Amino acid sequence: MKFIRVNMSDKSSAVSEVPEQYLGLGGRGLTSTMINAEVPPTCDPLGPDNKLIIAPGVLSGTTLVNTSRVSIGAKSPLTGTIKESNAGGTTGATLGHLGITAIIIEGQAGDGELFILKIDGQGEASLIPANEYQGMRTYALTEKLLEIYGQKNSVLIIGPAGEYQLASASIQASDVDGRPCRAAGRGGLGAVMGSKGIKAIVIDREGKDTDAVADPEAFKAAAKDFAQAIKEHPMTGQMLPALGTAGLVAPVNSMGAFPSLNATNGVMTGWEKISGEALAELIAKRGGNPSHLGCSQCIVRCSNEFVDAEGQFVTSSLEYETIWSMGGMTGIDDLDTIARLDRLCDDIGVDTMNIGVGVGVAMDAGKINFGDGAGAIDMVDQIGQGTDFGKVLGNGPDAVGQLLNHKRIPTVKGQSIAAYDPRGMQGNAVTYATSPMGADHTAGNVLGEYVSGALDPLKADGQVEASRNTQIAMAAVDCTGLCLLASFPLTTPEGGGAFLKVMNAKFGIQLGPDDIPAMGIRVLKEELDFNQKAGFTNKDDRLPEFFYNEPLPPHNKTVLISDDDMDGALKF
Amino acid sequence: MKVRVKLFGPLPQTIPGYNSRNGLEINIPDGVTINDLFARLEIQEPEGYMVAMNNMVIKPTDIIKKGSVLSILPRIAGG
Repeated sequence: MKFIRVNMSDKSSAVSEVPEQYLGLGGRGLTSTMINAEVPPTCDPLGPDNKLIIAPGVLSGTTLVNTSRVSIGAKSPLTGTIKESNAGGTTGATLGHLGITAIIIEGQAGDGELFILKIDGQGEASLIPANEYQGMRTYALTEKLLEIYGQKNSVLIIGPAGEYQLASASIQASDVDGRPCRAAGRGGLGAVMGSKGIKAIVIDREGKDTDAVADPEAFKAAAKDFAQAIKEHPMTGQMLPALGTAGLVAPVNSMGAFPSLNATNGVMTGWEKISGEALAELIAKRGGNPSHLGCSQCIVRCSNEFVDAEGQFVTSSLEYETIWSMGGMTGIDDLDTIARLDRLCDDIGVDTMNIGVGVGVAMDAGKINFGDGAGAIDMVDQIGQGTDFGKVLGNGPDAVGQLLNHKRIPTVKGQSIAAYDPRGMQGNAVTYATSPMGADHTAGNVLGEYVSGALDPLKADGQVEASRNTQIAMAAVDCTGLCLLASFPLTTPEGGGAFLKVMNAKFGIQLGPDDIPAMGIRVLKEELDFNQKAGFTNKDDRLPEFFYNEPLPPHNKTVLISDDDMDGALKF
Repeated sequence: MKVRVKLFGPLPQTIPGYNSRNGLEINIPDGVTINDLFARLEIQEPEGYMVAMNNMVIKPTDIIKKGSVLSILPRIAGG
């Protein structure tokens, strides 16, 4: 259980035991608690006082399936709030195997200085000058780094966007195949990494220093039961392996809540061409892999390997949110173009969601036409080239809207909404407005309540409570390193029971069902506290005006949640 | 009365000759509910599916309207 602190101002690093005040924390619980404790809330996110904290979950590195998520936290240059963004691939498990609880990057390198941070098999850190890699896109550099340091490494890497310190810059993470196609996408953490002077972090995957499990026998038995629950749940056992998250295109359009053409319609004309069904069929026909293993110890296999008409690899994994942002919001109904845009974003190192929405805003403003695939590809490529427009697009939809004097900009606190229109899913309106992270879907997606028929998505009733409960649940899950998708079985008695037993066996404690939400509330309180000190008030917990004034076809609803009700969502 | 039914997930494979572009056009009596439709289409485990009628999520006991487009989808949520 160690911390590695790296100071980029004097290029020193130090390994220590985890300080007492942070014991028992992991993932988002650790990053948010530390950011709130150690980062001045009014600091410049791209300055020396911000910290970039990389933390696996408390279960990462154990033998439990689907626990290889890594949380990355900082003050966000996009939103100005606290931010946690998590990524899949191999990094979470890798850090767990090294017994590393967090890597904390502090200070700032000098102008023009660029480094690789290397963590070896003993968990020792070193900084290696990397100026020769300046400007390199992530795929080429990841390949090079794995050649130099060996294939058995996890890589966290920024592309040109992070080096330009653009507010939508991502930190890409390598998957099981060594491709930088997983992402800590949201919130501009790639810009923070770039501002510190780090181009990539290369971490040895062969650590043998996993934290001890308190009761190994009980852990093994409970882990087996949890894996069973995953296999038996229809979502994780059947749908996700078959269609991936792209399987959401059909239900969300069928509900009239798929924000299309810059959120002017809830159904996209031609959505069937870019659905999960269409994607799986196309990939299979071309000899790609529609049920690809992307992350360590995953038994869901929601990932895919998209190939072109000649069977050549294009991108992995093409997800629902990217299909929405690059297809729904832009009117591009061609999977090849969308796949290419996904690859471009991963290569340049930007959040596909913020960028797709930015392109949608640009189209709505008339810069290019909706549906212009070649035009969209050119715009996104400009981010990598560092043109003036490219930098604006890389800074997010607010920047695009300001440049083009356009008023319909679907963001909250600078971060774009996700693939669920708040007018068509009123609970997601609450999450977008009130999440400490800005408009966010993984923070608290209420979709499940609508799909099960428990709640009416078009009425205000019950939405605040549903959003609150799911935000609390997700904050807890985000501490563990467990993949969001593998958290669905937690709602069944078998899955929920097995998970509690896993946690208790790991730590030698006796958590009950109420302790999990308590963990989530603790995390949210830290985040809300930071944001308040950073200057945010309830006035910032509102959606853009057009969501309240422009009815969304086909249901023609606006956001129905009152300001007072929004303010009650996260009152603890 | 005629309605159009679109199927998703594993369902298309259960209907020989199902065309995903057009879906299934079927003739049903007035007053038929979603539950009745599941039985008619021989859908196993209907609780595993969500139904949208003209872009609204509806309950299994709801009555189907004339000329509707119905989508039968596996219950799925994600990110």
